Amino acid sequence: MYTEIYGIALRSLLISSTATLLALAWSIPFTVKLVSIRHESKEAIVGVFNALIGLPTVLVGLVLYSIFSCSGPLGFLELLYTPYIIIIGESILITPLLISLLYEIFNRAYNEYWELALTLGADKFQACKLIIREIISDVFVVSLIGFSRAIGELGVALIVGGNIKGYTRVFTTAIALEVEKGEFGTAIALGLLLFIVILSVILTARVIKRRV
Amino acid sequence: MIVLKNIWFSYVDENYVLKNIDIEFNRGITIVLGPNGSGKTTLLKIASCIYKPMRGEVLIDNINYWSLNEEEKVKLRRRIVYVHENPILLRGSVLDNIIYGLIIRGYSKDDAIKKAYKISRELNITSLLSRKAKTLSMGERRLVTLARALVLDIDYLLLDEPIVHLHPSIRELIIDIIRDMKSEKVIVIATHDPLSTLKIASKVVLLDSGKIVNMGEPRNILDKYIVKY
Repeated sequence: MYTEIYGIALRSLLISSTATLLALAWSIPFTVKLVSIRHESKEAIVGVFNALIGLPTVLVGLVLYSIFSCSGPLGFLELLYTPYIIIIGESILITPLLISLLYEIFNRAYNEYWELALTLGADKFQACKLIIREIISDVFVVSLIGFSRAIGELGVALIVGGNIKGYTRVFTTAIALEVEKGEFGTAIALGLLLFIVILSVILTARVIKRRV
Repeated sequence: MIVLKNIWFSYVDENYVLKNIDIEFNRGITIVLGPNGSGKTTLLKIASCIYKPMRGEVLIDNINYWSLNEEEKVKLRRRIVYVHENPILLRGSVLDNIIYGLIIRGYSKDDAIKKAYKISRELNITSLLSRKAKTLSMGERRLVTLARALVLDIDYLLLDEPIVHLHPSIRELIIDIIRDMKSEKVIVIATHDPLSTLKIASKVVLLDSGKIVNMGEPRNILDKYIVKY
């Protein structure tokens, strides 16, 4: 029992942190590019990402299912019901959130620190170093927020993960299953554990924010 | 001397915020006057080589800045400092902020700290040096950003609304400091409140809707400015 819960916790952490890293890998360069655009359409693009923050997780799951199922265009990859597809799904799910939050940070950094560095005589490399130093903790806080959204989602993990014991079962799918089975004690224990994980992440983010 | 020749600038598409600007900033103090949104800040950022104009030339001592290679640009830019209207401070202590420009110029930390203490004594801010920069009041922030600019050996100092919303004693202190540098530097001050800075100005430029509408002796321009705004 405890071994299983321990396995679920570890798997959830691993899947959601990998999804967060993956989402950051494309969100950071995309947002840097977006900030540098000098065109009115920029605000519209940001608006679209803001709206997509509330994207229903089951919808992402459904779209991924239709793409990666046997009859789907990417079915040959055989990713359905693997942890990899949950990682992809969660990373897609949190991308609008990351881009929206990073945009605010990068936009401020570009308008303030980039200009400041240049006017104080920095070359481009020194200016980049300064910006990274100034915003690194904010970016870390954003990734923690993305992580907590990823680890708490159910739709993607359930539809494309399949809730396979010891393989794709994560916190949220395990809780749903235990409730269905009528095992409320286990469901509550898992729920509490998930809550503690999310709370620790949020508190860490708050501490980082206050320290800097 | 900074010369702006036929400058056109827009942030988005073809909506120009500066139109056909021709101006020279010489040794002494030039005040750029104009209502909010007239293009003062943009003009200063172009003159300090932060923004590249869409059209026109920025000449620093007769060198066309935007035609230089990256290394030459940095070298030239290190003679100019632009101080933002909203003081932007870096993480860390006030001392860290003041020495930043020196460190990136290759000064040793000891030398940089010595210079920082010297300028801090002049500005009467030595008591702030160990404080976290982000905990300062607006007046203190202004003084720190000024110290961070003055600690560098620069020839051109461009100040954006340097005394707005400040306590009269700090206002006077900043004006005195600027006045003392008048004979050795090219100083440009953007403001929409000319009364405090006029007494130290050598030249006034009146800007409205991105165009220079008048330029010349402070007394003549001020009368027209007050009548109009």
